[in-house]
Amino acid sequence: MTSQRPRTILICALGGEGGGVLSEWITECAAHAGFPAQATSVPGVAQRTGATSYYIELLPEPAPEGLQPVFALVPSAGRVDVVASSELLETARILERGFVSPDRTMLISSSSRVYTTVEKMQMGDGRFDDQRIHDAAKAMARDYRTADLEKLANDNGTVISATMFGALAGAGAFPWPRNVCEDVIRAGKRGAEASLRGFAAAFDAVNGVAPKVAETSAPQPELPEPLPADFLALPASVREIVSHGMARTKDFQDAAYADLYVERVRLLIKAAGDAGDPRVAHALEEGARRLALWMAYEDIPRVAQLKTRASRFERIRADVEMKPGQILKVTEYLKPGAEELADMLPENLGRRLMRRVQAGKSLPFLGRGIHVATTSIAGNLMLRTLAAMRKIRRRSLRYVEEQKQIEIWLDAKKTALARSPEFAGALAELPRLLKGYGETHLRGKANYRAVFDGIVAPAIKSGSEAMEAQRLRKAISAALADPESSALSQLLAASRSEPPRLLAAQ
Amino acid sequence: MEVSFSNEIRSLKLGDGEVFHGEGILAVTKALLQSGVTYVGGYQGAPVSHLLDVMVQAKDLMGELGVHVEPCTNEASAAAMLGASIMYPVRGAVTWKSIVGTNVASDALSNLASPGVMGGALIVVGEDYGEGASVIQERTHAFAMKSAMWLVDPRPNLPTIVRMVEKSFELSEVSNSPVIMELRIRACHVRGSFKTKDNIAPRISARELQQEPAAFIYEKLAHPPVTYRHEKLKYDVRMPAARKFIVEQGLNEIFEGRHGDVGLIVQGGLYNTLIRALQEIGLADAFGRTEIPILALNVVYPLVPDEIVKFAAGKKAVVIVEEGQPEFIEHEIGSILRRADINTTLHGKDIFQMAGEYTAEVMLAGLAKVLPKYIGSIDVTPAQTYALDIGGLREKATKLLATPLPPRPPNFCVGCPERPVFAAMKLAQQEIGKVHISTDIGCHALATYEPFSFGNSILGYGMSLASGAGVAGFSAKRPVAIMGDGGFWHNGLLSGVTSAMLNERDRVLVIMKNGYTSATGTQDVVSSPRSASKNVAEGASATGSERTIENTLQGLGVKWLRSVHTYRVSEMREALKEAITTKTGGLKVIVAEGECQLERQRRVKPMRAQAMSEGRRVVRTRYGVDEDTCTGDHSCIRLSGCPTLTVKPATDPLKTDPVAHVTNGCVGCGLCGENAHAATLCPSFFRADIIANPSVMDRAMAKLRGAITGAA
Repeated sequence: MTSQRPRTILICALGGEGGGVLSEWITECAAHAGFPAQATSVPGVAQRTGATSYYIELLPEPAPEGLQPVFALVPSAGRVDVVASSELLETARILERGFVSPDRTMLISSSSRVYTTVEKMQMGDGRFDDQRIHDAAKAMARDYRTADLEKLANDNGTVISATMFGALAGAGAFPWPRNVCEDVIRAGKRGAEASLRGFAAAFDAVNGVAPKVAETSAPQPELPEPLPADFLALPASVREIVSHGMARTKDFQDAAYADLYVERVRLLIKAAGDAGDPRVAHALEEGARRLALWMAYEDIPRVAQLKTRASRFERIRADVEMKPGQILKVTEYLKPGAEELADMLPENLGRRLMRRVQAGKSLPFLGRGIHVATTSIAGNLMLRTLAAMRKIRRRSLRYVEEQKQIEIWLDAKKTALARSPEFAGALAELPRLLKGYGETHLRGKANYRAVFDGIVAPAIKSGSEAMEAQRLRKAISAALADPESSALSQLLAASRSEPPRLLAAQ
Repeated sequence: MEVSFSNEIRSLKLGDGEVFHGEGILAVTKALLQSGVTYVGGYQGAPVSHLLDVMVQAKDLMGELGVHVEPCTNEASAAAMLGASIMYPVRGAVTWKSIVGTNVASDALSNLASPGVMGGALIVVGEDYGEGASVIQERTHAFAMKSAMWLVDPRPNLPTIVRMVEKSFELSEVSNSPVIMELRIRACHVRGSFKTKDNIAPRISARELQQEPAAFIYEKLAHPPVTYRHEKLKYDVRMPAARKFIVEQGLNEIFEGRHGDVGLIVQGGLYNTLIRALQEIGLADAFGRTEIPILALNVVYPLVPDEIVKFAAGKKAVVIVEEGQPEFIEHEIGSILRRADINTTLHGKDIFQMAGEYTAEVMLAGLAKVLPKYIGSIDVTPAQTYALDIGGLREKATKLLATPLPPRPPNFCVGCPERPVFAAMKLAQQEIGKVHISTDIGCHALATYEPFSFGNSILGYGMSLASGAGVAGFSAKRPVAIMGDGGFWHNGLLSGVTSAMLNERDRVLVIMKNGYTSATGTQDVVSSPRSASKNVAEGASATGSERTIENTLQGLGVKWLRSVHTYRVSEMREALKEAITTKTGGLKVIVAEGECQLERQRRVKPMRAQAMSEGRRVVRTRYGVDEDTCTGDHSCIRLSGCPTLTVKPATDPLKTDPVAHVTNGCVGCGLCGENAHAATLCPSFFRADIIANPSVMDRAMAKLRGAITGAA
């Protein structure tokens, strides 16, 4: 028995990323080098963005006279020499299937993520933790190399198959020199130049050479607003949030509103006591964050203000990759409902409108989807007029109601900070439920109330914050678990049936 | 069609002594031409679609040879084509995805196999089994046995595959029986090479016409009383003839090995994996030289008793390596050995798993159990440690990753016209409550995954409406059936629509009119837009003006019929609500019209590029999300799932949840905006029209607007 064994290469890509091209490049290289090779694939529903895999076996030397190697068509766990993956989560999948072994496998993975629908559709943050994948890869592979192969591809005007090819060559995965790969790419003609650029960039990247396109690492930004002197002693994380909060509230309304924000934060700090305690610091940081976001709620004037900003159009230009000399037209999809209008009207007017709506009558122009071109003169002026309505915001229905709710939340938080930092920390995150617009917003408000009345209020009343902190956290994540709020209502119902915690505490 | 095969077509023209490089399934195509086929038909489906697709595109080559190529509307009509070989000395081949395609074809196959064939008849099936399979896990083997058609399962390398195609025609002719060749997914896609021969122009063909029809011979009809004689012929004449040929031509291969006490009998298609497993325990080398004798069955039905007996005699045991369930081959070998009174022990499914793909890992585990029993000198510790090692690897990985990985099922393409229909369906159900949804085969079945998770049943291709008939009988709310135009023409029209019409049932049917069988590579259907209307349509949907489906339904007497453009979500929602709640009885059909985005892009991209290069005015439309106003609730994603509508970390230092974000892959289909309106989501969505090579007017207006608004 000869001890020769084929070199095995597994390529994992997503549909339409050119994994097929890559595996052809590799087999052509083998042919040039005079090595027998075989490639096969499970394309899956390739065009439909599903996961696809390509498997290559090659003999790193010419076959002896009269003999033909018998190559496998299916990769074996623990017996793959090289794994190349175009996407980080797919890399994790390959680890889970046992294809990466510490004594054999070189693992080359793009650090880029293409989020799955399940990750994207969550009401909060459903993304899988990248770092955990990198750590696992480091622990599992004989040699782990990673780089943002997708970015390198975009920067060089090519596709990820080219940068994967370069990464493989750069990491020394092939039993043939670099120029063989490059000749094969050149022979491909179409898009060869871009492919070669991408190949070279990735070749360097996996060898620790910084890509030519310098990473734009943002320098530590200055705090947007100077803090009052009595805040300077706070932990840095809190200081930063407060400063941003001041900027936000000022931008939302005016300097006086920013002062109100500061005043409110100050009350929290007073109630908190030792901010050196990380639990307290966290409670303050989150509190200051949510307070700012809440105070700068999204009503029609706010949306109009944000949509008519010059900086916004600059961002859009960059996002859509406009070339000089091109012209941009932007059209907004708006659907103002009766509630939104009532929100921005003076309180009494607003209430009258809402009564009208509840009586089944509305206004003809409401509840219809409208397209407003913010780059057109009429559309832009209309939105600016709406934005200007913020001058009378303080008298508006929504302002009155939001401030009332904010005060209630602040009172609870002050009490909590004094008694249980954990509970205060959780309570700080409660306003996170107040998300979105229209239906979404109503649902968020309902969930907020349910949690506040069901857990927060009783806990404060009975002084059982410390033991309720855990449950409050659970309730918040339950509220973010599903749009039908079924998880939340289950949790609240379940806890009601338990023996009253108040007694249990005594 | 999705792919262009110009290179592949070139390799189909190769002649004597040249070398073909390419995929297994295209090697089969070349082998058909080398065998002088007169006609080829089939129904597309992975992994065999390319066989037909490439021939459809190779019109001139087929013309030269006089080969008739017919993409059929379903597998039954493809199988029926083989009827040509019953009465005429012509070779024909058809192809489809198995098991499902064979199910559909089985009526014609029974009627073909009974009288038997004069000219070689070959059925190339993609055995869609194991990793990457998209259908029910069953074996084609059962059909071969029940109809006495021979089943070929070649070793997965191009020279063997090609030889077996050529031999299959001869086998078919000497035994007057149709032959099935099963090719697993990876075998269809395996890239290799083989020495080619000249293509053979068939003696009777589209160029060499048969002047007189065949004589009337009642024995050639699948009709009593001759069907009784047919059954006898199958086993008294045809099968013996087949067995004789198999032996004479050495279609099955024996690889001798020094350990004579045990023999391995393997389906040809699994041979390479078996060698890999043996390599793990040092019983074979990289070139397939084995220490354990192997009988590789390139023909798995019928078996040749003498061959089996010869191989088994004198051995302590034979091990059958047979993938899938039940163990047909093992059973047959069992009775062969008993009848010959050979007392060699038989192993198979007692040591290997019954169900699922036979990977090297699976085979190794089985072999490690059985080999030491009979060959003391064999050390299987490597096999055991291997099992432990990879068990450890998986455990370690799972521990390190801590939480389960989110799945990544296939998804509707960017800008797919079917996605909006399900957004509308979701919204409609929010208002009128949940309804029973019978789904079907096709791209629209992707709605069974997140974010829609729709569908109470899948009963086969074109079966959705029929599968709701029973449910409708006891459901308070009308069930809804979803069907693609592919499924409609494949058999939904007959199995579903006509049945509902006959019984005047109160039902709801949604037909996805995207113009092609998109899931299999956008092959044409009878209602595909003609190229003329495509050029007129340019960027717009080319299926709007195509009315074949509507006319057919009206012809059948469907009264309640709405054609709705899929991207109009609100309209679609209203149509669905009405169809489900209206007092009007009878079948209610919504034709959801929107051209397959893949085809649309294939047409639009070159047009755009052309215009750009000529410096003409081009408007690119895409959508976007304002991260300032996005609150990170992601309800827009729960209504879409478009790959380009994703999330990114908020740049706002105050926001913790990721915000929605549209990537530049966006093709501007407009669903985001439509959803934002239909569901009153949020004001974050905007449409951006980017005008390249703007006209003088454009520039003037832009200047003016910019000056006043400061926006652009």
